[in-house]
Amino acid sequence: MEKLVRGFALVAFGAFVVGAGYGLVQQMVKISTLQSLSNNDISVEQALMVAEGAIDACKKDNSVISVAVVDRNGMVRFLLRGDGASPEMADNARKKAYTARTFRQNVSTWMERTAIDAKDDKGKPIDLNGQQYLENTLAEPGGVPIVRYADAIGGIGVTGAKGGPMADEACAQAGVDAIADQLL
Amino acid sequence: MFRISHILMATAAAALLLAPQANAQTRLSAEQAMAAARAVQAYAKDDGSDPSTVVLDANGDIVLQLKGNNAAPHNIGLAERKAYTANLFKMKSIEWRDASMPGKDRASERQMPKVIPLGGGVPIMVGNEVIGAVGVSGTRGGQEGDTAGAQAGADAAAKLAQGRPVAQN
Repeated sequence: MEKLVRGFALVAFGAFVVGAGYGLVQQMVKISTLQSLSNNDISVEQALMVAEGAIDACKKDNSVISVAVVDRNGMVRFLLRGDGASPEMADNARKKAYTARTFRQNVSTWMERTAIDAKDDKGKPIDLNGQQYLENTLAEPGGVPIVRYADAIGGIGVTGAKGGPMADEACAQAGVDAIADQLL
Repeated sequence: MFRISHILMATAAAALLLAPQANAQTRLSAEQAMAAARAVQAYAKDDGSDPSTVVLDANGDIVLQLKGNNAAPHNIGLAERKAYTANLFKMKSIEWRDASMPGKDRASERQMPKVIPLGGGVPIMVGNEVIGAVGVSGTRGGQEGDTAGAQAGADAAAKLAQGRPVAQN
């Protein structure tokens, strides 16, 4: 009698293990085949830190800048119009951020690559100048991508630095450097 | 002769100091806008929410915009319209919503472009003067919550204006 109960319990346990295992496998197949996308994106707090890093860097020579931070989709996460700047200046900052994000490189680098007479290492013409005709891009230095594990999660654009567009880019880079430890 | 030149210099210096101030006092600075955004974020942290924020100057132009991490597509545009409404009517957008209910005298104001009869827009007041507005969309407390968040932002911006001379009506 005792043997019978033990045997019955063993069978029940076995059935439970098989059933649970089957359910688990089914669930795993579902997760691996039907999972929705989940991408990294620059957060509100990171965007504020990046912007403040750029503003602080540009304060050294009393430059009053406009700053834009775009997310991985190139949409505005953060925008700040500097004192006395026109709305166009703020929008140009956005375009620089967009350009850096979408081409995943500094705008100054992108400008060299897309220049009319740009050539590759072997002296062959690159002929990418057409990219400069894309909407929302701006061929003026001052945009830097925000890259995490080779994945561009955003971009920052700056206008209004006293030293001109290359100074804009230096301030933008200082902004990205402010969250460098979070991009490892 | 020496004294006269001193008086002239002092007068010129006073004129130089006073003239730009008259202009500067009505203008919302980027620093004030940043303080407003930080205050709204602090409110959101307590609230456990993820709002979008827009700060406008007295002309209704955007000085700052900040989109929440998981903002719904309408949030940022709605935040701007709430701020625009508060700046235009010089009152909280929730108050104007109530004042412009259908059937009331001001109901036709709802036909104006860009305004929105929803709470979440608060004017930035310095003395009796409106120097801009804060609009918030996406807190937990609905229109009242958005209004409270925007109020925190407007207060932070107004606080930075204190100490400066302000023209009273």
